Amino acid sequence: MTIGSMMNAMRDPAGVPGAPGLFEALFVGTWVLHIAFVLLTLGACALAVAGFLLRESGPHWARLSAAMTGVAKIGVSLLIVLGVAPLLFTQVIYDPQWYASNVLSASWAIGFIATLIVGYCSWFAFYAKNEASAKRVVVAYGVVALAIFLLDGLIMHALTYQALLPERWMEWYAPGGVVDTSGARLHAVQWPRYLFIVSLSAPAVGVFLLAYADYFAPRSDIDPSYLAFARAVGRKTAVFASPLSLALFLWWMTDLPPGGQLVMHPLAFLLALSVPALAWLVWTKSAPGRGYLFLWAGVAMLILLSIWRELIRVSTMSTFGYSIDDYKVNVDWPSAILFATTLLGVGGLVGGFYLTLCYQAGRVRDVYFPGANVARLSSAAVTVLIVWIATFFTYGAAVWVKNVFLP
Amino acid sequence: MDIIGAYPTFYVPYIGSAWVMGIIGVIHVLASHTSVGAAFLFAILETKAYRDAQPQLLDFIRRFGVFLLVFSYVIGSITGPGIWYAITVASPRGVSGLIHNFVWVWATEWIYFTVEVIGVYALVYLIGKIDPLTHLKLTWSFALASWATMLLIVGILSFMMWPGNAAWYETGSTNDAFYNLNFFAHLGIRTGSMLVMAVVVGFIVASGMKDTNLKVSVMRLLAPIGVVGGFFAVMMFLYYLQTLPGNALIMLRSHLLPRYADGMIAVFVVTTLYLLIGWARPQLVKPPLAIALFLLLATIGVWPEERMRESMRKPYVVGQYIYGNQVISRDAPGKGVVGEVDAIAEKGLLALHPFIPDRLRTVTADNRLEVGELLTKIACSNCHSLEPGAPLRSLPDKFHGSGDTDLIAAFLNGPLKHGAIPYMPRIDLPPDETDAIASYLTAVGGARRAEPTIAATPSGSTEN
Repeated sequence: MTIGSMMNAMRDPAGVPGAPGLFEALFVGTWVLHIAFVLLTLGACALAVAGFLLRESGPHWARLSAAMTGVAKIGVSLLIVLGVAPLLFTQVIYDPQWYASNVLSASWAIGFIATLIVGYCSWFAFYAKNEASAKRVVVAYGVVALAIFLLDGLIMHALTYQALLPERWMEWYAPGGVVDTSGARLHAVQWPRYLFIVSLSAPAVGVFLLAYADYFAPRSDIDPSYLAFARAVGRKTAVFASPLSLALFLWWMTDLPPGGQLVMHPLAFLLALSVPALAWLVWTKSAPGRGYLFLWAGVAMLILLSIWRELIRVSTMSTFGYSIDDYKVNVDWPSAILFATTLLGVGGLVGGFYLTLCYQAGRVRDVYFPGANVARLSSAAVTVLIVWIATFFTYGAAVWVKNVFLP
Repeated sequence: MDIIGAYPTFYVPYIGSAWVMGIIGVIHVLASHTSVGAAFLFAILETKAYRDAQPQLLDFIRRFGVFLLVFSYVIGSITGPGIWYAITVASPRGVSGLIHNFVWVWATEWIYFTVEVIGVYALVYLIGKIDPLTHLKLTWSFALASWATMLLIVGILSFMMWPGNAAWYETGSTNDAFYNLNFFAHLGIRTGSMLVMAVVVGFIVASGMKDTNLKVSVMRLLAPIGVVGGFFAVMMFLYYLQTLPGNALIMLRSHLLPRYADGMIAVFVVTTLYLLIGWARPQLVKPPLAIALFLLLATIGVWPEERMRESMRKPYVVGQYIYGNQVISRDAPGKGVVGEVDAIAEKGLLALHPFIPDRLRTVTADNRLEVGELLTKIACSNCHSLEPGAPLRSLPDKFHGSGDTDLIAAFLNGPLKHGAIPYMPRIDLPPDETDAIASYLTAVGGARRAEPTIAATPSGSTEN
């Protein structure tokens, strides 16, 4: 039994309900959304804690700290929900790797949930208490939460990395031939990969602050000097961390799978180049009004990173004879159509309605009254949901009656 | 078949991985049902506030919403993936089977999740920040989107019990899997329950409000919704019982309902009375009482209900084709799935399972107990703990601490081998593997007999 034959046997016998490449694309794409909020949240957490500690050194630190506490609070919610998608899609095409790795460190996988709850509650406590009059000890809530978030990131990293090392699974499961079913150990961590990705939280929160300053610029009730301060902090944060990120990335390059093909891959050079390029752009071009452009530049960098991760996975798995291209396919059109129409109808209309409201309402000082287009959008959002639910029940009842009552 | 696609085994002493899953699941059910139910309460309250010009009702919505952001959207949103992780490590092949059937449905649910998370922040923080009519549309769309997450997950959860007919096995279509026989009944139970839970949690929030008039008007509005929701849930539960497969009914009638029925009836009666008191005398509902009722609902209502559903579908974890011990039990031609039980009977788990150390692939006098322990964990530990006196259907206790290897082997080679027990998987193993398991269980039973405190525990007190 080879490692490849073992992994191929561990694939789900039901096959995948669509082209494997489609799930791969969805996996790579949705991971970008997830990691963007992971990085923003970690960066916002660190800045909130730092701002709290620095609040006596300048007039705006306390306000920035409180704002970043709120950003991180919402960021955690979004990174969790956005993380569900790549978690889902990776299990469709890389199920042997994902499940084996998780079971081998099962206690940590469960511990991830327990610690995340503690960490998030701790962050909520910091959020609730982070006021100008708060005692210095309050920062402990934030520090504990940030430490737990970093630990949880490490657990997720280890579970992902262990999935790339199938030749070691048996050695981890039964060291010395003695089976250990406790799942009590994290077996493998690739520190440069983990630290590089974490280090990107600095440019992430940096470019976010540039956009943040632009977003609130029209608000007459917000002190322009505070926004200028936020912009300056963002600029420095994005730029000064870049040498460290670049060094960590180069360290990661020294720890890639043997063979050397990946080190010489153009994407590796592009990714390495993107770190100083983003820093240079921020340093030289970050005049007011361009903040959103840097957000998109950051997203572009994360897309490169996501493709790079997948490239490593494909390359590593191919050495064992595992390719998603030969996964058995059982196309399921009804549920595929359900997804596609819901993505457009509900994701587009309802999600678009919510985001529009949040965006527009935050830019005015008083009560926001939507114009005709947003009013139409709000009605369309309710309507599309009613139509979706009515279709769901009508279609379902027809299938149910057919199966239950008709021969 | 030279190898089966089994994964390593994760085992938690005493409570088993099943209870880990159950504990996380119950917390998630409480949080998620409350949030979906609350979404409708918000919509109803806000409609009244808008129509009757009672903007003070929005204060309750804001207060309840902030409470939910912690209770449901922190605990609930984390324990959602938490259930996923728990079933991943407890039943990797089970959850893999679900994902490979329902990935598009789950992806659809994810769209709703994302919309819902953005929506709840918008709903809470935009009260008073946008015009009332737009906010009302926001609230109604949020309620419908929240319910849609329930509509989508219930089809998958119901399929875990069984498709209800032969269609799915033949077609492999998600249509036939999702809209299974007990889908609508199951959806009815959860829809009724979500309203009850939201009202009970809403009472916790309302009971702490200082504005007496607002407290009274809110509780009078919520209480009837909870009463109707509870009655509807009970009616749908009775209907649900009619949609269950034979093995589930046997499990229910012989092991589950006799123990849980009184508690369930008590929860229904007490909760209904409580809600009626809340309607008639809202002032009597103070925070300690409201919290106590919530805990009653959680511990005597939700925990047994979730445990029943988990236990009833045994020996399967998915669609009556994947056993709890990860073995594929039958062919499903529509998906090209081939049963593995006969191959295991012929060649044995030691030969076919990929995660067996080489030194344990052949049973010897020296390794018999070690092999027996590993095989027992692989084949049995998804439903049974291995320690005497443990709460999860302890195997040594099931054999009454027997030290008779032949007796245990007779059971393994009799009812278990032939699949004669409706709620247990058919486990048909070669003689050397059966002997190893029997030897191991005899040794563990001996340990039980050596411990007088545990040995004194009546076997009937353990879980079935």
